[in-house]
Amino acid sequence: MIPLPRRLAIATATASLFAPRILRAQTRVVRIGFASIGAGNRQFTGGSPIAASHAEGWLERDLTDERGLQIQWSFFAGAGPAVNEALANNQLDFALQGDLPAVIGRANGLRTKLILANGVNNPIYLATPPDSTITHPRDLRGKTVAWHRGTNLHLAIAKVLAANNLTERDLRVINLDFAASDAALASRNIDAAFSSPVLFGLQRRGLAKIVYSTKGDKPGFARHSHLLVQEAFESANRELTGRIVNSFVRSSDWASKEENREELFQIWAKSGHSLENFREDFEGLPLAFRNGPLLDAFLQGQYRIQAEQALEHRLVRRQIDTASWFDTAYLDAALRDLGLQNRWQRRDAEGREISA
Amino acid sequence: MSATLALPRRKLAPTAWRRPGWPVALLLPLAGLLTWLVATRAGWLTPAILPAPAEVWATLAELWQSGDLQSHALWSMGRVAQGFGIGAAAGLALGAAMAVSPRVDDYLRPSFLAIAQVPVIGWVPLLMLPLGIGEALKVVIIAKAALVPVTINTQAGIRAVPRGFVEVAGAFRYSRSQLLRHVVLPAAIPPIFTGIRYGLTSCWKALVAVELLASAEGLGFLLVWGRQMFQMDLVVAGIVVIAAVGFVFDGTLALLERRLQRWRTA
Repeated sequence: MIPLPRRLAIATATASLFAPRILRAQTRVVRIGFASIGAGNRQFTGGSPIAASHAEGWLERDLTDERGLQIQWSFFAGAGPAVNEALANNQLDFALQGDLPAVIGRANGLRTKLILANGVNNPIYLATPPDSTITHPRDLRGKTVAWHRGTNLHLAIAKVLAANNLTERDLRVINLDFAASDAALASRNIDAAFSSPVLFGLQRRGLAKIVYSTKGDKPGFARHSHLLVQEAFESANRELTGRIVNSFVRSSDWASKEENREELFQIWAKSGHSLENFREDFEGLPLAFRNGPLLDAFLQGQYRIQAEQALEHRLVRRQIDTASWFDTAYLDAALRDLGLQNRWQRRDAEGREISA
Repeated sequence: MSATLALPRRKLAPTAWRRPGWPVALLLPLAGLLTWLVATRAGWLTPAILPAPAEVWATLAELWQSGDLQSHALWSMGRVAQGFGIGAAAGLALGAAMAVSPRVDDYLRPSFLAIAQVPVIGWVPLLMLPLGIGEALKVVIIAKAALVPVTINTQAGIRAVPRGFVEVAGAFRYSRSQLLRHVVLPAAIPPIFTGIRYGLTSCWKALVAVELLASAEGLGFLLVWGRQMFQMDLVVAGIVVIAAVGFVFDGTLALLERRLQRWRTA
């Protein structure tokens, strides 16, 4: 027979073991995943309005009256592919992802809806060692060039090369992730690298120079990111989904105001990526151009083209329908609700601005 | 000689290499295959994560027909063969030297252990400068993966040769090289081969890390690419091929080990 105090202790221990489970049952959890992570695995990211919303707790602020609601943010070092795996295993309700990984996910049977743009018109950059004679993508014929295959830079690069009458076969392409391509560039093992704004850090240290960016080139060369929701979650939580989109559109509005430029970059810098990189990446571009939430004709057309090109480059194995993927109902309602219908410039499928 | 050694053999030496009982050895894989089949049929996991065996088979057949599979496998086997050859040879020499000469051991052991602790991936940025990003870098990293277990097991194996063997050899007035060739090495074969076979496994593991780097060919690349493109059938196909190739490599080593140990059954 166990003496009473010990029995009491065992009972308490057992109860406390199950307590979190019981308490958790009373809270609703919304799981949101970023296909990126801060430098040194910091649980922050930058470059998009929703990244700022997470860093500043704006979504939690806007949903304080939802009793027992808990927002769970996660960050995936494995980027888009890892987010796809988490979606397939039903570990996420919402995901923030780039265009190509989402196309790949959809081609493999993920049932999601694109409900908001989050970080669009992102340029890609071409960098070379500081003393290189390469000044433009057209000079790349026969050169050793690195990029990370299968990321959403891949298709943008293919388009840039095609515009300069080149294909991958005209270069010596080396598959390197961003960190390795930085090292290879600094040690002059490659002639050039296509990469993200992290190249600015290398340039400031005098290890590389950026010779070309898609900034100001054809709008079709850009990369885009979005918020998507699992169909199952969306159909079971329409009101909550609407409120979340509403909050994110407010973040987009704030992140599109020029007077907030410096403060926005400082918020993003919590990710450990340098403030300077954001400044230089966004230099010469209105914030509203990158941080707008609109899923306009241009953006929808871009996703269709990405899907076609992904098939052409054999990154996916079947054609996917992108038109039925977009659900702008939440976005439209939020814009109406917040009186922001004319806040951002809409573009037609060719990227021409539509006059209101 | 064999008569002298016959006495302690049974107690000291572990059971020599033995042909596995095939029907029994197949039980576990078959059970695994069955579970896999049932899991996909019953939809326990989404096909996006676990594709059906038939789909993986189709992918394998397609890769074979297009010749991609052979070329990926050849690339990887070439890299592993080179890296393993260099790493295992260096490990045997180093391990033997450290076991036989206390002075070599004193000089090298601490540095060696420190280097051994660092995961191969840590050396990549440093090695990139002198070796570039070509094949040399990959082979060196794979060689390092084999070097560590081979060295440690060779040293331990030689050190563990029973004193009695060495004393008997001494009584027969064996020269140093005779002692090494006829007593120490044969007796140390099992632990050395444990190291060699473990080294080979390490090589295959390092291969995936290495093929992530500056390459677009090889079985490791196939795994990474399949994951990136969310084509799990490609990933599983890659797993199957790596397992099969590894099995054949290990079997070859086991045969070699048995040949070298014929004295045990003589």
